[in-house]
Amino acid sequence: MSAPRSRVALVSFVVATIAVLAVFPKFAEPYYVTLVLPAFAYAIALLGFNLLFGTAGLLSFGHALFVAIGAYAAAVLTSKLGVRSFEAIVAIAGIVSVIAAIPVAMLAVRYVRIFFGILTLAFGMLFHSFLFKFYNLTGGDTGIRVLRPTLLGQDWKELDKTAFLIGPFYYACLVLALVLGLAMWRIVHSPFGLHLAAIRENSRKAEYLGVRVRTFRLIAFLISAFYGAIGGAILAVNTGQADPELAYWTHSGELVFMTVLGGFANFFGPLVGAFAFIFLKSELMGATQYWRFFLGATLAVIVIAFPRGLMGLASDAWKKATRR
Amino acid sequence: MRAAVALVAFFDVLIGGVFHASVLFLVAAGLQLVFGVQRIVNLACGSFYALGAYFGITAVNWTAAHGAPGWSFLPVLIASGIVLGAIGPFIERLLRTVYRRDEAFQLLLTFALVLMFQDVLRFFWGANPQQLGNLSMSYGKVTLGEFSFPTYNVLVMAASLAIAVSLGLFLKRTRYGRILRATAENREMAEALGADVKKIYAGVFTLGTILGTVGGALVVPTAAASLDMPVELVVEAFAVVVIGGLGSMRGALAGALVVGLTRALAITFYAELEVLAIYVIVIAVLVARPAGLFGKPVE
Amino acid sequence: MNTQRRKVLQGIGAAGAALAAQPYLSFPAIAQNKPLKIGIIAPKAGIAGTIGECGLRGTMFAVDRINAAGGIAGRKVELIVEEETNPKDSIERLRKLVLQDKVDCVQGIVSSGVSLAMGAVAEEMKALTIFWDGTTQDGVNETMPNPRYVFRSTDNECEAVMASLLAIKHWKGKFATVAGINPDYSYGRNNFAAFQALLKKFGVEHKIVADQWPKVGTLDLTSHVAALKAAKPDLVFSSLLFADLPVFMKTAHGAGLMDGKTKFVFPAAGFQHTLLKKEFTPEGMIFGHNTLYFNLDNPTPLQKQFVQEYEAKYKDFPHWEADRAYFAMQIYRAGVEAAYKAKNAWPGQEDIISAMEGLKVDSLGGPGAMRKDHIADQTFYQGMTTHANRFDFATITDVTKMYSDQLQKPQGTDFWKWIETAQIKL
Repeated sequence: MSAPRSRVALVSFVVATIAVLAVFPKFAEPYYVTLVLPAFAYAIALLGFNLLFGTAGLLSFGHALFVAIGAYAAAVLTSKLGVRSFEAIVAIAGIVSVIAAIPVAMLAVRYVRIFFGILTLAFGMLFHSFLFKFYNLTGGDTGIRVLRPTLLGQDWKELDKTAFLIGPFYYACLVLALVLGLAMWRIVHSPFGLHLAAIRENSRKAEYLGVRVRTFRLIAFLISAFYGAIGGAILAVNTGQADPELAYWTHSGELVFMTVLGGFANFFGPLVGAFAFIFLKSELMGATQYWRFFLGATLAVIVIAFPRGLMGLASDAWKKATRR
Repeated sequence: MRAAVALVAFFDVLIGGVFHASVLFLVAAGLQLVFGVQRIVNLACGSFYALGAYFGITAVNWTAAHGAPGWSFLPVLIASGIVLGAIGPFIERLLRTVYRRDEAFQLLLTFALVLMFQDVLRFFWGANPQQLGNLSMSYGKVTLGEFSFPTYNVLVMAASLAIAVSLGLFLKRTRYGRILRATAENREMAEALGADVKKIYAGVFTLGTILGTVGGALVVPTAAASLDMPVELVVEAFAVVVIGGLGSMRGALAGALVVGLTRALAITFYAELEVLAIYVIVIAVLVARPAGLFGKPVE
Repeated sequence: MNTQRRKVLQGIGAAGAALAAQPYLSFPAIAQNKPLKIGIIAPKAGIAGTIGECGLRGTMFAVDRINAAGGIAGRKVELIVEEETNPKDSIERLRKLVLQDKVDCVQGIVSSGVSLAMGAVAEEMKALTIFWDGTTQDGVNETMPNPRYVFRSTDNECEAVMASLLAIKHWKGKFATVAGINPDYSYGRNNFAAFQALLKKFGVEHKIVADQWPKVGTLDLTSHVAALKAAKPDLVFSSLLFADLPVFMKTAHGAGLMDGKTKFVFPAAGFQHTLLKKEFTPEGMIFGHNTLYFNLDNPTPLQKQFVQEYEAKYKDFPHWEADRAYFAMQIYRAGVEAAYKAKNAWPGQEDIISAMEGLKVDSLGGPGAMRKDHIADQTFYQGMTTHANRFDFATITDVTKMYSDQLQKPQGTDFWKWIETAQIKL
C-alpha cells in the first residue's frame, strides 16, 4: 500500500470530518449539537493525555486534575475576576494548569508504569479534597459559577445560552480544537515526539543514547496539563458551573476509557474516542438505569478484544479494503 | 485526675486510629497480595470489599431468619466472605486475557470491573444503605475505667493482625508461599523451574479476593454497606499501599497504621485537616522514600 | 426504554437567532389528547441513590392517582426518568429532556451543587423546573437571583432552624458545652452555622468544645466519637444524614456517649430513620423528619393511604423526599389546572407559572404552598425519639409541627440577616 495514497486518504478523511462538524449544527437536533461541545472539550483534553499515554507510554490516572483546574480557572476568571474573554480564559487556564503541573510532574516523572498511574490518581484526589475542603475559596461541593464568555470581544447578548452554545461557541471550540490538534500533530511528529516514543519503547536505551528521559517526560506532562485545562474550560462554560466531581478519580478513568475506546496508538484515536464515548454514554443513560454496567462491559470488551480501539478497527478495515 | 482523663482520651484516640488501620488493612491486603505476585493493581479491591459487606449482611439475615443463634453471626460472616471468594477464579480468568499486555490494560480492565460492580451491587441490594443493627455489640464492651470499646471491634483488630501475620508466615515459611515469591520475582524462571504459574495466579487472585470479601464482611457490623464504597475506599487503600510500599505485606500493615493514626490524630487535634493530612503524608513519603516504607525501588 | 426518532432535517437558520425566539416548551393547540410529558431527574446510585429512590416513589404515587382520576386537565401524565449524577452530566440529561424529549416540565434534583448549576441552565432554556431539594444558602443569589422558570423547595436550613428552636425550648439552661459533628459540605456547614446563630440570637450561653467535619459518607467514625467523648459536651448537634448517621449512632452508643448525660439534636435524622434501630438509638433525642413524618398520631387520609401502600409495596417506610416529589407534582398539576380553568384553553407556560405562584396544595405531609418568589412553603415535623412503637427503630413523640413561614427567610431577604433580625418564636 503506497504511502502517498494512504496520506491522501487520511487528509481527505480529516477534511471531510471537519466539514461535517462545521455543518452539523445546521441539520442536527439541538440536543445532539450540545453533546458535541463536551466532545470537543474531551477531544482537546485527550490530545494532551495521549501525548503522555500513547506517545510517552505513561498512564496517568489523575488527568481529571487538569480538566478540573481549567474549569475552576474559567469559573474564577469569569465570576470572580471579571475576565470574560474566552480567548483570555483559555490561555490563562492553560498557563495556570502548567504552573500547577510543575510540582506534580517533578514528583511523578520519577516513576513509571503503574506507580505513575497511582501517584497521579493520588494527586487528582488531593485536588478533589482541596476543592471540597476550602469551601470559602472554592465553593466546596457546590463549586463556582462560570459566566458566559465573550467571543472575539462580542457578547452575543441577543442569543440565549443554548443558542450561544450551539452557535458561536460551537464554532469557536471547533476552531480551537483544530488549532490545538494541528499543534499536537506537529509536537508528536517533531524530534521531541520521536524522543518520547523512543523513551516509551526502551527508556534505558534512550538514556544511553543521551536522551534526557526525565526532562522529556516532564515537558510532555506539562503540555498535557495545558491541553487538559483548555478542555476543562470548555466543559465549564458548557455546564455553567465548575464543581469538585470534575477532579474525582473515576472521571480520570473515563478519560482513559475514551482514549482506549478510540485507539491510543493512533493520533486520531482520542478524538474519535471522545465523540464515541459521549454519544455512547448518553444513549446508554437514556436506555437503561444500569448504564454503568454496560459502559464497564464495553470497556472490558475493548480491552480484551479490541485493544487498538475504533481507529485500530478502522485501519484494519481500510487495509482489508485496499488490499487488492 | 487530669492525667487519668488525658490518658483515657489518648488511649481513645489511639484505639480509634488502630481500628481504622485494621479496616484499611483489610481493604488493602488483597490489593497488596495481588500486586506483589501478579503485578496487577486491582482497582476493584473496594468493590470486592463492598460485595463482601453486602453479602455478609444478607448471609447473617438469612441464617438468623432460619433460626441460627445470635453468636453465630461472626462465623457466618467469615464463611460468607470465603464463599464469595468463589468469584475470584472467574475474574482472574477475565484478567488472564490481558496478562501479557501492557500494565495499563490490566488497570483498565479492573476499572471496567469497578463500573460493572457498582450496578451489580445496586441490582441485588438496591439503593438503601444496609446494616446489621446492633450485632457489633453482641460481645459486649471492653471497659477500663472511663474507656469503653466494643469487644467486636477489638476482634476486628485482632483478626486484621492475625491475617497479616499468617499471610506473612505463609509467604515466608511455607513451600507454596516461597513459590509465590519466586514467581513474583521472576515469572519466567519460576515457570522454567516447574511452577504452574497459571494455577498460582488463579490461587493468588482468589486469595486476594477472599481477603477483600472477608474484610468487608468482618467490618460491616461496626459500620454499614453503602453504594459509594467501591469508589471511595480505593483512594484510602491506595494511600496505604503507596506509603507502605507496593507489594509488601509488612508495608500494607505499616501504611495502614500510618494512615489510621494520622487520621485519628488529625480528627482529635485539627479536625479540618482529616483528609488532607493523609495526602500530605503520601507525598512526603514519596519525596523521601519513593518506594514507600517497605517497598522495593522500581524503575 | 426510550424511543427516539431522529429527525434529520431541522431548519435552524442563522446559528441561533431563530432558536432564541422560540421557547423550548410550547403547547401546540392540538395537545389535548397527547400525554403530558414530565421529566424527572433523580439520583439512582451512590450516596444519594436511596434518596432519589424514595422521591421517585412519591412521584409515582402522585402520578398513579392523577392518571386514575383522568390526568392533569384531561391529559395523562407520562414520566421520563433520568439519573442525577454530577452537575456536568445532569445538565446534559436536562438538555435531553428539554430539547430532545420536549418535556412540559422537569422535576427532581437532590444535590445542592447540581441544583445551582441546573437552575441557571433551566432559566436560560426557559424550561419549567421544580426542584425537590438541594437549596442551601451559598451561591443561590449568584445563580438564580429572580427565578422565573425554576421553582425551588424549602430552604435546606429549615430543619436546622426548627431543631435549634426545639433544642433551645426544651433545654435552654441545661447545657453549657456544645459539640458539632456535621458532614463536611455546604449542607452540614450551613446547618451548624444556623444552630450557632440561633443560640446567639436567643442569648444561650454556650461554648463549642468540639467541631467535627467527617467526610460525607464516612463509614468509620470511631475517632470522631472518641474526640467528641474527650471533649465532654453537654449537647451534640449533628446534621449527618447519609449512611454515616446510623454508623455514628452505633459507634457513639458503643463508646458510651449515649449514656444519658449528653443531649442530641439531629435535624435530618428522618432520612435514615428505619436504620436507627432501638438498640443503639436512645429516647429523648431531637429528631427532624422534615416534611413527612410517617407515623403521625392523626395523619390525613392521604398520608395514611400513602404510608400503607408504601409499606405494602416496598416493605419500608417513607421519608420526606417522597413528600417533596409528591408536592412538586401536585403544585404543577394545580398550576396547570388553575391556568386551564382561567383561560378555558390549554395554558401556555407563562400562564402555568403565574398560576403556580401563591398556589396552595395538600402534600403527603400536610399543607404546602408555592411562594411568589418561587420558594416552597411546607409543614415540618420534629420531635423527641421514643421506643414506644411497633417497629424495631426509633420514632418520635411530642411531635411539633411548624409551617415553614416560621422557619425560612421571607421573600427578598438574606438568610443570615433574617436569623439575626427577625422575630422568631420558640
